[in-house]
Amino acid sequence: MTPPAVNRPFLSPTTRIRVWYGLLAIIMAVFVVRLFYLQVIRYNHYHIAALQTQLKQYEIPPARGIIEAHEGDQVVPIVLNEPRYTLFADPKYVKDPAQAAGKIQGNIGGDYSQYINVMKQNSRYAVLAKKLTKEQKDKLDKLNLLGIGTREEDYRTYPQGPLAAQLLGFVNDEGQGKYGLEQYLNKELQGTPGELKAITDAQGVPLAANKDNVLKAPKSGDRVTMTIDIAMQRQAEDILKAGLDAAKSKSGGAIIMDPYTGAIKAMANYPTYNPGEFYKVTDANAFNNNDVSSPLEVGSIMKPLTAAAALNQGVVNANTTYFDPSRFTIGDATVTNIEEDGGPGTRSISDILSLSLNTGATWLLMQMGGGEVNQKARDAWHDYMVNHYQFGKPTGIEQGYEAGGSIPDPDKGFGLNIQYANTAFGQGMTATPLQMGAALSSLVNGGTYYQPHLIDRTTAADGRITTKQPTIIKNGVVSANVSTTLVGFLENVINRNHITYGMPNLRSQFMIGGKTGTAQIAKPTGGYYEDKYNGMFMGFVGGNKAQYVIVVRVDQPGITGYAGSKAAAPIFGNLTNMLIDNFGVLPKS
Amino acid sequence: MTYSSSLALGRQRYGQRNQNAVSFKDTTRTLGPVSNTVILIVLACVLGLLYLTQVTKTNAYGYHINDLQKQQTSLKQEHDDLEVASARLQALDRVKNSEATKNLVAAAPKSTISD
Repeated sequence: MTPPAVNRPFLSPTTRIRVWYGLLAIIMAVFVVRLFYLQVIRYNHYHIAALQTQLKQYEIPPARGIIEAHEGDQVVPIVLNEPRYTLFADPKYVKDPAQAAGKIQGNIGGDYSQYINVMKQNSRYAVLAKKLTKEQKDKLDKLNLLGIGTREEDYRTYPQGPLAAQLLGFVNDEGQGKYGLEQYLNKELQGTPGELKAITDAQGVPLAANKDNVLKAPKSGDRVTMTIDIAMQRQAEDILKAGLDAAKSKSGGAIIMDPYTGAIKAMANYPTYNPGEFYKVTDANAFNNNDVSSPLEVGSIMKPLTAAAALNQGVVNANTTYFDPSRFTIGDATVTNIEEDGGPGTRSISDILSLSLNTGATWLLMQMGGGEVNQKARDAWHDYMVNHYQFGKPTGIEQGYEAGGSIPDPDKGFGLNIQYANTAFGQGMTATPLQMGAALSSLVNGGTYYQPHLIDRTTAADGRITTKQPTIIKNGVVSANVSTTLVGFLENVINRNHITYGMPNLRSQFMIGGKTGTAQIAKPTGGYYEDKYNGMFMGFVGGNKAQYVIVVRVDQPGITGYAGSKAAAPIFGNLTNMLIDNFGVLPKS
Repeated sequence: MTYSSSLALGRQRYGQRNQNAVSFKDTTRTLGPVSNTVILIVLACVLGLLYLTQVTKTNAYGYHINDLQKQQTSLKQEHDDLEVASARLQALDRVKNSEATKNLVAAAPKSTISD
């Protein structure tokens, strides 16, 4: 009997298991190979692709440094940062420009048709409005307009309005400081940007677990404290403006400085502007701090410096007298005085200043040359102008566009003797009012030239404070004796002329001295205008010692009389009264 | 009796045919390769879970940090706004034109320090 047929499987169980193992191994191998390809061979490609969506990299802008100034014993901010918002459109996503424009105009005002035009631009970023306030931004956010967004930006804000505008300068739309302090200290005020580099989630929040995240905090710009006192600055600006109006002058300036440190306490310019609205200024000259950037022929305010140089060289002394012929011929030119000076006569050094004798200043220069204007006189006077009074080079004050003025070379050129005779009374050379103030400071403080400065201290982002110490540029500009003598001479000028200077009620308990200057304005083509003058006044006020040095400049006054006496001197008088009344000038004791 | 037969006799005393002369039982329990693999996989899973827990926790802290930073920024912004507002309120022009200033009366000084 045949045994029944057994249905034997095609493959034995062991073989089947091996086949499945084999298949599994092949599939696994495919995965492994594919993964190897993706993760090893194409590593860079996918790494970069992943980072593009996950890695966010931002530059964090630093806050620009705040600028402060003194107000009596306090320090108050005068330039701050304020966030404002730029409204922009991505025209690709704005479906109905007319409707969007209507809603925007309804909430923030502006030009409806201009909004539409902007939103129809072929661009992905079109600016609709700038400098929106937070309230305006919040209103627009509530509208939830597709394709319309806002971007926050810091803008400079000036709580004191146009106060000290030229000193401060402004910051343009590119974030660059222009003019004044903003330009000079742009780098220090700007700070250093920070950096954020991080793997983020879909909402852009950095994932803290990523060890490669980079967060470098921005470093804010330095906080700068100026030497000026805002109350003094405001009053100086008001007095200057009133004085210019009275003199029918369109422009001018005034400086008040501490002769014992070189610190500028006030520096006024007119015309002025609001730095918060610098874009509205039509005449760029309004941006200039003319007290430091516009050198001019200073006129007779140079005479005290000439006298001090002669005294210090020992070629004359305080009691020297001489016969003034009222006319000197030098080469083919003649130096004369104004008619009111009384003609020929015996004069003292003090007379040269109080009568403002051009011939007297020329005579002083002659004494430096042994009795005539010659090479020796030119060299000696040049040395004083350049090396003692620091003319011909910028003072280094913290202001953009500072000018150094010009002093003629004593050895090169034509007509050097008459040119140098002119410099003895402030013509034929140029200097800025600031240079004159710094030079006078050195004459009244005992002979030390301090660098004029506007920065009192800076505070870095880490709290480190750097206080500016007075910088001595030169000791021994003149001797202490000459300094004392000159202070007396300049007091005498005021005592003899204060009525003419518009200072009828001279306050005798205070030490007030100074000198006028009326300088003809040079033509661009050479020579001088017959009827165009600048008026200047340079002086000091104090008690037992000069507490403040003041320089006033009035450009082309429209009133009759000498510009220095009639236009600049009254402003000086009002400034001295202001300082005595409000800023603690101590009387003589 | 030979030496070898005497040995054989000696063995027969304790054992019979096909029986080991020495009985040895290993009492140490060891894990086989399968168990080891399973344990390793479980361990890897536990470690993986631990890692994920920590990463998630750290990232949660990240969100917390982010919220705090937002608060800090907001407070700083508020401080800056107040500083600007304060400066504006104390501006010389505003003080000069304020009602309080308009009501002030000018007083002439009667004496000086030197008097």
